[in-house]
Amino acid sequence: MTDILRLAGVSREYKMDGVTFQALRDVSLTIKQGEFIAIMGPSGSGKSTLMHLIGCLDRPSSGKIFIEGKDIIGANDRELAEIRNTHIGFVFQQFNLLRKTSALANVELPLIYAKIASRARRERAIEMLKEVGLAEKMSNFPSQLSGGQQQRVAIARALITNPSIILADEPTGNLDSKSGKDIMDIFENLHAHGRTIVLVTHDENVAKHAKRIIRIADGEIMNDKGKMKL
Amino acid sequence: MNMFEPIRLALRSLRTNKVRSLLTMLGIIIGVSSVILLVSIGSGLQDYITTQFQSLGANTIYIMPGKIDLKNVSSAGQSMMTSKLETADVNNILHGSSVITDIGPAVAASGLLTYKGKTISTETAGIWENYFTITNFEAASGDIIRQSDVERSRKVVVLGDKPAADLFGDADPVGQSIDISGVRYLVKGRLAAKGSGAMGSNVDDHAFIPYTTALRQFSFTNPQMIVLKVANQNDIAPAIEDINHVMLRRLKDTDFTVLQQTELLNTITQFLGVITVALGGIAAISLLVGGIGIMNIMLVSVTERTREIGLRKAVGATSRDILFQFLIEAIILSLTGGIIGISIGALGSLALRSVIKTAVTLWSVGLAAGFSTVIGIIFGVAPAVRASQLDPIEALRYE
Ligand SMILES: Nc1ncnc2c1ncn2[C@@H]1O[C@H](COP(=O)(O)OP(=O)(O)O)[C@@H](O)[C@H]1O
Ligand SMILES: [Mg+2]
Repeated sequence: MTDILRLAGVSREYKMDGVTFQALRDVSLTIKQGEFIAIMGPSGSGKSTLMHLIGCLDRPSSGKIFIEGKDIIGANDRELAEIRNTHIGFVFQQFNLLRKTSALANVELPLIYAKIASRARRERAIEMLKEVGLAEKMSNFPSQLSGGQQQRVAIARALITNPSIILADEPTGNLDSKSGKDIMDIFENLHAHGRTIVLVTHDENVAKHAKRIIRIADGEIMNDKGKMKL
Repeated sequence: MNMFEPIRLALRSLRTNKVRSLLTMLGIIIGVSSVILLVSIGSGLQDYITTQFQSLGANTIYIMPGKIDLKNVSSAGQSMMTSKLETADVNNILHGSSVITDIGPAVAASGLLTYKGKTISTETAGIWENYFTITNFEAASGDIIRQSDVERSRKVVVLGDKPAADLFGDADPVGQSIDISGVRYLVKGRLAAKGSGAMGSNVDDHAFIPYTTALRQFSFTNPQMIVLKVANQNDIAPAIEDINHVMLRRLKDTDFTVLQQTELLNTITQFLGVITVALGGIAAISLLVGGIGIMNIMLVSVTERTREIGLRKAVGATSRDILFQFLIEAIILSLTGGIIGISIGALGSLALRSVIKTAVTLWSVGLAAGFSTVIGIIFGVAPAVRASQLDPIEALRYE
């Protein structure tokens, strides 16, 4: 299997009032096509920081990051935006749907920045909503959807550009257990269809859906179980 | 993204916040409509006065007794009483200048006009037969004062529109007899109405009798005014030079004043022009305030939409995409506000038409439209830059 993503000796420091804080230290890890990874660790251990680096929302203080073999350290703002658009699909704990914007328009959003014509966008968004079982809710506003449904819209949005990797930061954190289970079923299904998924969670029950569990503490990888062998 | 995508994006986001969009535009709407309205009133006044003056004859020159300051017109009355002008000056000037086509002396006194027991007080002017040619008056009915009337000191009167209407209503006064301060006159004609004119006097509010008759009736010896005309605008300056040359042989330059319409008109239109620009300027300040309003609300909107901006960046928007989205929103807001303001201003100026002749000028429309676009850009830049510079991670974490 090919490497989707590789982190080599990545650190992330935050400087506050002259004090340097190491949110991530010397993290190296490789993610291969089709992996389903859970990142676990106590609050403040650096899980989200790691996700932001993987998702090209942030730049490391040191170390290298390769996405599909391409070094992204030297990439400029526009190139990073393009990588986020084409290679990454984000799912957030807070859903982060646009208010007063229909489910359909929310799903379409990434394709606007991919310069896809509006008609093709629409067709593709409808298809995605069908895939997460929300075709009949496509003109609903987020406020007219349950938490679980909102998160499904967010997953459809993450999938619409057909990204190399899906990053989900505590996707079930704001959901009741039933909706949480529905969301995990969707991720299971995506995994079964060969999608690469990285999700952050506190919950062991959520983590057990994953085939590989990376535990981090104080910005360091403590344990990495179930790594795919070549 | 193609060219229209950011516009569509901005429109959609403005549509989802209709009330906020409208409130944002309010300042621009008020500013633009007041620019249009005030400037239209100002230039309407200018047009009105210019046409009035032109109807009075732009090539007319007046020689008045005494020194008259254009800025202090009321001083004219005094020197009328002690006029050092003489009837002989008329011929001297005519012979001393090659550009003067018509010239005549005039006197005026307050006369009491009585017809069938009704009495009105009217400025009664004694004039030379060419006075009506010089000042562009025409008879609406009957005839004007002729050479023979002046030569024979006939007791005939030509009524201006106002005294004719006051004494006779719609009836034709020609052929009727009226008394002027106790002396009987035959009404020879009635003049066509012209509207108010030079120095605030109403030119329709006069009665005209032959010059020679007036000297006798009101015991004048000197003309109070010499009125003359040149063939065209270019002759005005040489004519004034000739007049001064002739008059200064006999009088000091404080004993007479040469007035002409264009000079007076220029003074007034200049003044009105300044007022129009000042009104426009004051209104433009409110446009500026409107622009600051846009900036204010756009800044609030950027803060409010921090998470939205973060999300857009997370799914692939570049800083430039965000910059353009907010900039275009601001421009659309101010431009739409400008268009609404122009419509309201134009409607308001149309509504005022019955009171004052307003004229919506192209330059004020252009200025308002251009200004509001520029304001949209200038005051839209700061919020747009702030939006585009937001760190997506911070933005997504924003509560
Ligand atoms: N922008 C920042 N400035 C300073 N410190 C930060 C910033 N973002 C995160 N941190 C710190 O880095 C550590 C890791 O944060 P995070 O990755 O969000 O943890 P979590 O594992 O809970 O997701 C925390 O101690 C947090 O306070
Ligand atoms: Mg976190």
